[in-house]
Amino acid sequence: MSEPAPHLVISAVSKRFGAATVLDRVDLTIRRGELVTLLGPSGCGKTTLLRAIAGLSPPDTGTIALAGRDVTHVPPHRRNVGVVFQSYALFPHLTVAGNVAFGLKVRGAPKAEIDRAVQRALALVKLGHLGGRRISALSGGQQQRVALARAIAVEPDVLLFDEALSALDRKLREEMQIELRRLLQDVKATAIFVTHDQDEALTMSDRVAVMNKGRIEQLAAPRELYARPASLFALNFVGLSTRIAGQVVGGQDGMVDVVTPVGRLSARGAFQLGASVIVATRPEQLRLGADHEANSASGRVRSVVFQGSRTLVDVDAGAGASLLAELSGREAEVPRVHDEVRFAWPAAETFAFAAEASP
Amino acid sequence: MMTRHAIIFCWVLAIGLALFLLLPLVVIAAASFSPTPVFDLPLSGASLRWYGRIGRLDGFWPSLSLSLQIAVLSTALSLVAGTLAAIAIARGRLPGATALGTLLVSPLMMPGLVLGIALLQYFRMIGLTATWSALLVAHLVVTLPYVARTMIAGLSRFDFTLIEAARTLGCTYAGSVIRVMVPALAPSFLISGLFSLLASFDNYPVSIFLTDVRSKTLPIRMLQYIEEAPDPTLAALSTLILAGTLVLLLISDRLVGLHRMAGTAD
Ligand SMILES: Nc1ncnc2c1ncn2[C@@H]1O[C@H](COP(=O)(O)OP(=O)(O)OP(=O)(O)O)[C@@H](O)[C@H]1O
Ligand SMILES: [Mg+2]
Repeated sequence: MSEPAPHLVISAVSKRFGAATVLDRVDLTIRRGELVTLLGPSGCGKTTLLRAIAGLSPPDTGTIALAGRDVTHVPPHRRNVGVVFQSYALFPHLTVAGNVAFGLKVRGAPKAEIDRAVQRALALVKLGHLGGRRISALSGGQQQRVALARAIAVEPDVLLFDEALSALDRKLREEMQIELRRLLQDVKATAIFVTHDQDEALTMSDRVAVMNKGRIEQLAAPRELYARPASLFALNFVGLSTRIAGQVVGGQDGMVDVVTPVGRLSARGAFQLGASVIVATRPEQLRLGADHEANSASGRVRSVVFQGSRTLVDVDAGAGASLLAELSGREAEVPRVHDEVRFAWPAAETFAFAAEASP
Repeated sequence: MMTRHAIIFCWVLAIGLALFLLLPLVVIAAASFSPTPVFDLPLSGASLRWYGRIGRLDGFWPSLSLSLQIAVLSTALSLVAGTLAAIAIARGRLPGATALGTLLVSPLMMPGLVLGIALLQYFRMIGLTATWSALLVAHLVVTLPYVARTMIAGLSRFDFTLIEAARTLGCTYAGSVIRVMVPALAPSFLISGLFSLLASFDNYPVSIFLTDVRSKTLPIRMLQYIEEAPDPTLAALSTLILAGTLVLLLISDRLVGLHRMAGTAD
């Protein structure tokens, strides 16, 4: 399978508001047909980056190329992007069909073609029967679909979603995540989602860009992002983990030995001797019992949380360190609170990150 | 059971109130068609003779013309100034925007008499003696608050993301304003224009202090007629004004929906 050519290329894009650097030399390349999520905490610059791509607020420096054309300073109406806003931003004085037709009308498409495109877009979002409705007579979920149909109808080069699902209630949101992903794949759309919901990011995207303070910390497929976080921030932002601080005392071949309050641990990483690091692993890597090939630590069970298919066990390992283990439902033995337990986990699934200067 | 009775009671009350409010208008309209100078029940026939007399009332045409000029001009100026002020207050990050908005709307809460006396004194002080100009400025004070209030409310409800949405769909900035913002604000614009027109046209308490013998607005002239010769000509005139107002209301309803004017919009 050959790699599709880059479709959206963002290079060294920076943006400042007053003294604050909101985007700091962001690079991001997206292929045609790819679904990418910008994931990050509030205020990290996700919306700002999206608006730069849409042309609503151009970057101070850097370039943005879309479908082989430099659009850095092209105004939004000549970019051919589709945006689904968090508030949907539907035009209240137009009907559902009027909203969906808006972009095509502005482009001066012939009437027959507009009607066909509107019907097609409404059918895609399963609202074919509601074309004549007023916007105010729609539910939140239906409005969301109209916003999507309106953006899709003009066949944009890239679709941008700014927290587009966040106003829906949880159940509807989870359904929409799956439906939206399928729909976008069907029409072969290239799309960027903005969210601070990690589940949404993992569900919907081919790749996730984890953003922090105006930078992209990691760009990876959901699986890889979870299994191989590139930074402490990415580790913390996606999924749960055990994290123990320690000092590097040795290492070779991309592995380091770290002395921690719970004992000596091996982890992936390359650091100088004496470096302060955080050693981390995912909860499902922990297994009850000792294993001399692997890292291990013991402690007293602080809490046991049953979550249906899995059980989360929180262990106080002493000296302020704690272990978080996830036991699958099939495991026969689940410890109880106050039990003394020992957990082991593979060194290959243990990561060392430079300890951040404490804030 | 209880609630049903309550609902019926409320309906009866509402209909009764509406009748009470509308009855004088019905009486006036009926009286205007009376064949005799004194209005009696039961009616002994219908005639249009009083309508024919309206035009021959002493000083009627100049007064009508003056009232219309002042109403239309003050409304037009209020619409322009009030809309611009509303944009500044609702959008521009002015310091003290809220206070400014309240100030603009405050003449609405002032008794007309007080406003009239105050304006009279003030115009004397600044040497504004021309009746026409004084009336126009005074009516601006009366009509501007209607426009400012309605347009500030309309603008603060307007979601400026709509403009961005239109831009990403292929509209220029100006095009977005015309295609999205203008239709969204048109009802507020029309309604405030209508109210301001009516408020100026039938204003009495402010105008009374500023008119002179030669130039009187229509409401003032009408009070003079009723003191001089109380015959149904005045009823005919009132009925015509009523009909004109109704036509305006119907047109506005067609354009934007009457429910919005009653303030019961969704
Ligand atoms: N027009 C503006 N003027 C000044 N500062 C701004 C402006 N727009 C955004 N900012 C600032 O830039 C930073 C990033 O904003 P942005 O909206 O991109 O964050 P975000 O990642 O989308 O956050 P959220 O998840 O809360 O939506 C914030 O600190 C914000 O206050
Ligand atoms: Mg945002």
